[in-house]
Amino acid sequence: MVKVLKTKIEIEGRVHEEVVVIDGELPAPWDSKAELTIVGQPVPRVDGAERVTGQARYTSDIQLPGLLHARILRSPHPHARIKYVDISAAEALPGVRAVICRDSTAPIKWHRSSFVFDSTLRYVGDEIAAVAADSLEIASDALRLIKVEYEVLPHITDEQHANDEASPPVWVDEPRNVIGGEPEVYKRGDVDKAFKDADFVVQATFRTPTALHNCLETHGSVAQWEGDNLTIWDSTQHIFGVRQRVAERLGLALNKVRVIKHYMGGGFGSKNGAGKYTVIAALLARKAGRPVKLMLNRMEENLVTGNRDSTVQHIAGAVKKDGTLLALKLVCYANSGAYGGGGMPIAGPVQEMYRCANVYTESWSLYTNLGRDSAFRAPGFVEGNFALESLMDMMAEKVKLDPLEFRKKNYAERAPKDNLPYSSKGLRQAYERGADIIGWHSRAWADRPAVDPKNPDIRRGYGMASQVWGGGGGPPAHAIIKVNADGTADVITGTQDIGTGTKTVLSQVAAEAMGFRFEDVRVHVGDTSLGVYAPLSAGSMTVPSMSPAVQMAALDVHKQLLAIAAEVLEVKSARLELKGSVISQGKGKKSITVKELIGGLSDYMVVGQGLRGPNDNSYAINTFGCQFAEVEVDTATGQVRVLRLVAIHESGRVINPMTITSQLYGGVTQGMGYGLMEHRVVDHRSGIVLNPNLTDYKIPTALDVPLEIVGEMIDLPDTIATTTGAKGIGEPPIVPTAPAIANAIYDACGVRVFQAPISPDVLLDALQRRDQPMVVEQPAAAELAPVSQKEE
Amino acid sequence: MMKPFDHVDANSAARAAALLGEGNQAAPSRPEDRPVRLIAGGTDLLTVMKDDIVSPQTLVNIKTVPDLDRIQFDVATGLHLGPLVSLTDLEHDTLINDRYTALAQAAHLSASPQLRNMATIGGNLLQQSRCWYYRGPFHCWLKGGDECYAREGENKYHAILDQGQCITVNPSDPAQALIAFDATLHILGPSAQRDLKVEQFFINPTPQRRALNQLDDDELITAITLPTPPPDTHSVYLKMMDRQTWGFALVSVAARITWDGDRIARADIIMGGVAPTPYRATIAEQEITGRSRSDLHSGLADRAAHKAMRDAHPLEHNAYKAPLGAALIKRALLAL
Ligand SMILES: Cc1cc2nc3c(=O)[nH]c(=O)nc-3n(C[C@H](O)[C@H](O)[C@H](O)COP(=O)(O)OP(=O)(O)OC[C@H]3O[C@@H](n4cnc5c(N)ncnc54)[C@H](O)[C@@H]3O)c2cc1C
Ligand code: SF4
Repeated sequence: MVKVLKTKIEIEGRVHEEVVVIDGELPAPWDSKAELTIVGQPVPRVDGAERVTGQARYTSDIQLPGLLHARILRSPHPHARIKYVDISAAEALPGVRAVICRDSTAPIKWHRSSFVFDSTLRYVGDEIAAVAADSLEIASDALRLIKVEYEVLPHITDEQHANDEASPPVWVDEPRNVIGGEPEVYKRGDVDKAFKDADFVVQATFRTPTALHNCLETHGSVAQWEGDNLTIWDSTQHIFGVRQRVAERLGLALNKVRVIKHYMGGGFGSKNGAGKYTVIAALLARKAGRPVKLMLNRMEENLVTGNRDSTVQHIAGAVKKDGTLLALKLVCYANSGAYGGGGMPIAGPVQEMYRCANVYTESWSLYTNLGRDSAFRAPGFVEGNFALESLMDMMAEKVKLDPLEFRKKNYAERAPKDNLPYSSKGLRQAYERGADIIGWHSRAWADRPAVDPKNPDIRRGYGMASQVWGGGGGPPAHAIIKVNADGTADVITGTQDIGTGTKTVLSQVAAEAMGFRFEDVRVHVGDTSLGVYAPLSAGSMTVPSMSPAVQMAALDVHKQLLAIAAEVLEVKSARLELKGSVISQGKGKKSITVKELIGGLSDYMVVGQGLRGPNDNSYAINTFGCQFAEVEVDTATGQVRVLRLVAIHESGRVINPMTITSQLYGGVTQGMGYGLMEHRVVDHRSGIVLNPNLTDYKIPTALDVPLEIVGEMIDLPDTIATTTGAKGIGEPPIVPTAPAIANAIYDACGVRVFQAPISPDVLLDALQRRDQPMVVEQPAAAELAPVSQKEE
Repeated sequence: MMKPFDHVDANSAARAAALLGEGNQAAPSRPEDRPVRLIAGGTDLLTVMKDDIVSPQTLVNIKTVPDLDRIQFDVATGLHLGPLVSLTDLEHDTLINDRYTALAQAAHLSASPQLRNMATIGGNLLQQSRCWYYRGPFHCWLKGGDECYAREGENKYHAILDQGQCITVNPSDPAQALIAFDATLHILGPSAQRDLKVEQFFINPTPQRRALNQLDDDELITAITLPTPPPDTHSVYLKMMDRQTWGFALVSVAARITWDGDRIARADIIMGGVAPTPYRATIAEQEITGRSRSDLHSGLADRAAHKAMRDAHPLEHNAYKAPLGAALIKRALLAL
């Protein structure tokens, strides 16, 4: 029986409604008593050998007969109008096979009112023209031959002034550069009253940097036409999304476009759909009549493929003497770039992390003449949590509570925003476990002794921070399973393994639910023509969306095989058991392997189908965690070393302890980079990014990562969230790292830094003010003013 | 991406100088416009070529010149380094570690292991500015333009001392250590050879000579020599970066002390990252010369360090360099 329902799902901190069609029986959930033998095991990656031996083929590895290489000419100006483009000299260069620009292609719509090749250029890096040639070198030479005349327009790159009356609009129809025309406001309770009633009010202004994803494999596509069928290899987190957008923009039927992505070197949210480069590769390939490879270089990667928005956050908290959190207020400004969508949930942590009856948030997303914002591992929450979790420590100090106690005192038992019960919440256990491991309760807290008596400059400190995030996944997500004549199974789905171990984890789920040996299962992903629909691999949603779909398909196979076996063995199927690829009837009775059973059926193919059921919207589905940092600060040089970082998270059932802890390590490392060194620098006068490279944009090296990272999960099957009990973990571990380190720095040297990254120059500047009492930067009254104005 | 160029192997230093002399005869007004350039490890040259800062027509490869990668030591004559000695070799050579410790340490703290394998000491001294305006699409003063964009712009990595029309800092780490050991460069041109102290070699760019050093268009470095340090000489190189490795110095200090019993007979304190050239902290050197070890440890090092930074003129984003410089000087002195 088919049912059509509606369900809410959360993606990247935003809630959407989806229609879900249910056909077939949803699996009975695996609760904590379920006896599982493969799920939960630390199975090494199924494709580990391919990856480490270089056999894995990434988009940048694709070689095809006649392949051309492409490059894009990009705007040198942050804001300009194109007077004319002359591509004739480039076209005449030997070895050049196709050149396209505004004047040589039909306009293809892109963001807002703009086109893939637009007449207005809105940031340094905007696309002007593209060349496909026999080699990358020829393509580069050809770019130099393209003549462009610009009318340079005034630009704005600084989010602090984007909204000024005098600032030029990035889009003519958005004169004040505010995305959506106004800030996004959220309120609950009576904030003004709570601030009046409070014993203490703590407020501060925090600044966070624009952070770049810096995927090891840059963005890019290879496009090949066969007649009017288009195949695209794309370095993407969403093959179906790429198919959808390319088909739409090129006016093709969905079944004429095939998108393939087998291996990928990093995405982190920046590869959630087709880029202009994807469409451009397809256009060039069509014009040249040959396949085209268009991989961005590092500079393009850092200018045009998205970033984590920089923010200015004015935040205030109201507390009672006993440590009860009464109210939180946040007014934040985010730099969304020229083509950003804005609306990153920077206010998410303030709204959702703690029990707090009175909350007001006001979020401004601002257009500027810079590369766009995009999802970046827990977008919004990373930015917002830096401010909130720093403020929490400041408030704890005011009410003289241990920071951990203060957080526990304001622990949310129900989801504060929706006032719903949680499907599960293991944060309390995580607090206990983390505190134990780092030695929180026995640490020297108050007197902060010098580490080395001979060098009193070196101080040690401890800090912690919590995290809330979505990660419940949702429909639509499909899978099918074919059982072969030799008793092996192919699991086929249109999801993608973006390097996180999806194939491994889904193999475990399929083997477990079918009752097969692990080695009899192979998972195929990353191809829209062969796979069935799966959502994007972002928003920590792959496992919670895909594992139930695979589980259902596997149970379908399981049931079919038992039914067939019952016929063949002439017993009731209820008396049969299928485990380890063997069907048995109990002790002493004849058993039969799946291989024997299927082998006897003349190539009959058992096909199982599965899909992801709806979310239970009477619960809030979240992931939680906390991190504890021990740092060493050299107060003379501003150098910070993270000695230990303990990351304890809860995201439902652990399907594979190995793949899940590598997410913890990766999140912590990236979070540490955000907290201590990563920072895109813009010269506002010229609108030019000064460090779109890996020399001056500093990411952590192997020597910078914490000397010790302890990553552990609170394994708590969440059967309300999903039938496998699993939730997502891709994003949560980056959320608390930076504030945990910032709080530890404060503990070490008594200096609160209101800005990330806390690089040596920033810390030294802050330390110069050390001897003054702890100053809370008072946001100018005017900056928090919209709060009271709005509420009157 | 780079423009096409010719690549010629030189089989002797003289041949390389001749090729430079012929090719660069027209004496271009900007050093960036030299049509013929030498290539050693290529680790700096390729970056500026890829960024279209220089576009030479011909590269003269000197890796094919025999014996330029030698390290030789003789107590009487001191240390001789061929210009092709790699930073990795400097870092690991036991004699250099013993007698010229700061030099080995400076090499070790430079760049990354992969780069140090390729990077030569000659090329290291001739790196172009790392100022991000210089490396970016700005026709700044050092490149022959009218304006220094860093002065009012993003200058957290720029000079706090000896600021001229250009406020870049010299990116080389080994330079400070070489100066502390009184090193001399042996330079060969098409018709003449000259010797120059490393300390004199680096210059604050002037309107007439917009470059970080004195090397002429047709010259190459054929050797670097360092006198044998007197007995009881100790040295150290300290460097602070944005991260643990693979970063240019925010501030660095090469410090060398020659002791006469308990007295400081001679002190050399050379700073990197604070000025357009390696910067000799003369005030601090004078402050400590002739004083005793116990003076050093009872406040003198700290005082000298702070005095050294007295003349600093911080810009909008680099005020931190003054306290950082003082901290490193103090620490370096106390380590000796
Ligand atoms: C990412 C990165 C990080 C780095 N970090 C550091 C650092 O922390 N500290 C540091 O000190 N350096 C650092 N460097 C610079 C590196 O040490 C230099 O690039 C290297 O030493 C240059 O040597 P090379 O042989 O590769 O020179 P090349 O690139 O071959 O040449 C550089 C220049 O020197 C000229 N040249 C070379 N040899 C001679 C010669 N014998 N006579 C005359 N001219 C010559 C060339 O014509 C060219 O103009 C870094 C470089 C990179 C790319
Ligand atoms: S500091 Fe020197 S190199 Fe940098 S912008 Fe100024 S003039 Fe140019």
